[in-house]
Amino acid sequence: MPDITLTIDGQTITVPEGTTILQAAQQIEKQVPTICYHPHFTAPSLCRMCVVEVEKSRVLVQACSRACENGMVVRTDTPRVQQARKMILELLSSAVDVSEAPEIQEYMRQYGADAQRFGDAARRDLPMHDDNPFYIRDYSKCILCWRCVQACGEDVQWTFAISRAGRGFETRIATFFDKPIPESTCVYCGNCVQACPTGALKPKREFWIETGRDVSELVRHSRLEKRRRKRDK
Amino acid sequence: MSDDAQGATSATLTTILARWSPVGRSGLLPALIEAQDAYGWLSEETLAQIANGLDVPLSEAFGVADFYAHLYTHPVGNKIVRVCDDVPCYLAGSEKICAAVEKQLQIREGETTPDGAFTYEIVPCLGHCDHGPVVMIGKDVHENVTEEQIDNLTKRAKDAK
Amino acid sequence: METKLITTNLGVANPESIDDYIARGGYRALRQVTSEMSSPQMIETLKAAGLIGRGGAAFPTALKYELAVKAEVTRPWPAPLTVPALYRRSSAFVICNADESETGTFKDRLLMEGDPFRILEGMAIAAFITGATNGFIYLRGEYALAYERLSRAIDAARARGFLGERILRDEGSRSLTPSLDFDVEIRRGAGAYICGEETALFESIEGRRGEPRVKPPFPTDAGLFRRPTVINNVETFANIPFIALKGAEAYRQYGTAKSPGSRVVCVSGHVKRPGAYEIAMGMPLRQVIDELAGGLRDGRRLQAVLIGGAAGVFLRPDEIDVPLDFQSLAAVGATFGSGAIMVMDDTADLGGVLRRLARFFKDESCGKCFPCQLGTQRQYEIIRDPERFRIASGLLHELGATMRDASLCGLGQTASSAILSALDKGLMKI
Repeated sequence: MPDITLTIDGQTITVPEGTTILQAAQQIEKQVPTICYHPHFTAPSLCRMCVVEVEKSRVLVQACSRACENGMVVRTDTPRVQQARKMILELLSSAVDVSEAPEIQEYMRQYGADAQRFGDAARRDLPMHDDNPFYIRDYSKCILCWRCVQACGEDVQWTFAISRAGRGFETRIATFFDKPIPESTCVYCGNCVQACPTGALKPKREFWIETGRDVSELVRHSRLEKRRRKRDK
Repeated sequence: MSDDAQGATSATLTTILARWSPVGRSGLLPALIEAQDAYGWLSEETLAQIANGLDVPLSEAFGVADFYAHLYTHPVGNKIVRVCDDVPCYLAGSEKICAAVEKQLQIREGETTPDGAFTYEIVPCLGHCDHGPVVMIGKDVHENVTEEQIDNLTKRAKDAK
Repeated sequence: METKLITTNLGVANPESIDDYIARGGYRALRQVTSEMSSPQMIETLKAAGLIGRGGAAFPTALKYELAVKAEVTRPWPAPLTVPALYRRSSAFVICNADESETGTFKDRLLMEGDPFRILEGMAIAAFITGATNGFIYLRGEYALAYERLSRAIDAARARGFLGERILRDEGSRSLTPSLDFDVEIRRGAGAYICGEETALFESIEGRRGEPRVKPPFPTDAGLFRRPTVINNVETFANIPFIALKGAEAYRQYGTAKSPGSRVVCVSGHVKRPGAYEIAMGMPLRQVIDELAGGLRDGRRLQAVLIGGAAGVFLRPDEIDVPLDFQSLAAVGATFGSGAIMVMDDTADLGGVLRRLARFFKDESCGKCFPCQLGTQRQYEIIRDPERFRIASGLLHELGATMRDASLCGLGQTASSAILSALDKGLMKI
């Protein structure tokens, strides 16, 4: 496979065919912001934070999954790009609780995003599910980055306990008919919790510590539960 | 229809699955559409049978059903009354038709009549823009609808199969 | 006044009779193509004719077929197990995008209800060119009559040997060229405008939510089941038999140099005779409205025209002399889009129109990419209650620019174009 030569922010770089713009940029130490991208998952290319200007392209192009082409001229930080990223952050923070997403908070500072831009517009105030001994799901913090679904599905675990439901602004992560996790195929591997960037998925223990509950009760709670179930059989 | 009713008429589901299982997951939407047509909505039981019959994970089958506006994972009326309120029909006076339907059926957008006959929806362009306002009841498309016709149209639709 | 190249059978021939279709010249094109032409020759013919897609993207059809043929050579064969066994033999797929859901558009419905065999013939010729053995028609669920007519037409075509194996290859033929094997399946949609976007359409057929994919890869390289796919609009396929039979020069007698042929436009709104009209490309919009559609209602004044669909652009009354061809419209910042022309006189409440446009995109956004999933919701909120937002107009423009520049697919990219054009042209203030 022949190598590809392209220009990023005026700098010429040669990379193997198949390298993405993001990978090429990282090679020359250009920072391109990403939110939904995770090196262990198939890039869903949906947050659009990593968009860059590519000469001859009418629209901005996502760096995370676009392969480099010979002669490509890329600009990673133009006013058009900055404006888009700022707006995306303002949109996100206007709809979802991103207070526990440090990366997003840092981007908001970097791009001067105003969390109050959209005032009292509709928020995705989805409920918190506390239905199993291992992790909580607080969907008011869910930015719909798809990572949990990918982790549970084809990228890692092949368990498919969760998927996306609904459409548009009302899209949500859901089990089959929104049943509690213990009634799903979840095997409590924890991959989704690890992948979640905003704290929407959080280990129960961490949640109990944050909310001032006695963590040792957790252990007893599950043991008690087991005994109760055995008794009631 | 109750879950039992759907599960009991599994002969229909068997036919549907026989038709679409040769193409596996690709048969999911067609199977859901046919089951929706047959049963009026998609219960847990129906969705699970289809998912298992086509080798699709349960959560994903649910996510697909929940994506499409014409698939319902909860009971709806025997017939859906769909009033177009998109731009050309709006120009032709769809607002009056919406009001007439609401008055006739005594329900608001998204609701179902107590007798289970109709669910009322406001929908985007139905593709009959030169003859608006347009109302779709069940599978039947009605063009050039007037407020006065709503009573008749709904009565006829209720009586028809 | 009307230019009838592809609508000659509408309202005249019995759409349920294949004999009627044949008697009126149907399937002569397919016969000629399969017996006298080669795939490269047909591509050259389409290239010379300059056929451009009629769905809204306006992509050159010949180029699309050429790219698919090239891709088939380079893609590994046989197809992987991810392709259902029934379709694994097909080196490419031919798909007819019959999801017609763009606001104000009904031409495809009329073509399917009134002349279904023409579309099947066009698809068969595309299959001949690309070597596809499987074709699909993705048809919006609400078009029940079109579904009936197309289903019957497919059955009749199969019975007569115009679909299936060895199409138009006589028994005992000694021809050395491979015969055309091609069959068509209808796949119905279920109420999702986004499934008219080609990659979302593929996802839908594959049994998933209609969430678009990034491009590249383009459908000709990796489309349905990630195999080379040519996907065209109903009207585009309807043009192919004419071009195949009569040739490129005959086609170029109509239309303009860069937009040859005809276009079926859909006129609706405040005109005396709303309807679908097949015109030669280049006819001025004013002429379509005044002469073909009967003009405005008595005593009324023109306020605005929305052209191209919800994803289109508003034109002011002083802008309607624009010729209706791709280039002239692009030159004035407009788009032909789906061919929808919605006429608004002085009685129209443009505020109500803009609210409906905003609501449309909010309801139809698939929810995958952030700019559109969040942006269409905010656009709707701002249009509905602008006084709730600081500097609503500025915010709307910035939001619109982000959706246009950064959305993953065409829905988000065009969600703000009509609304912003109305504001920028002074047709409405917020």
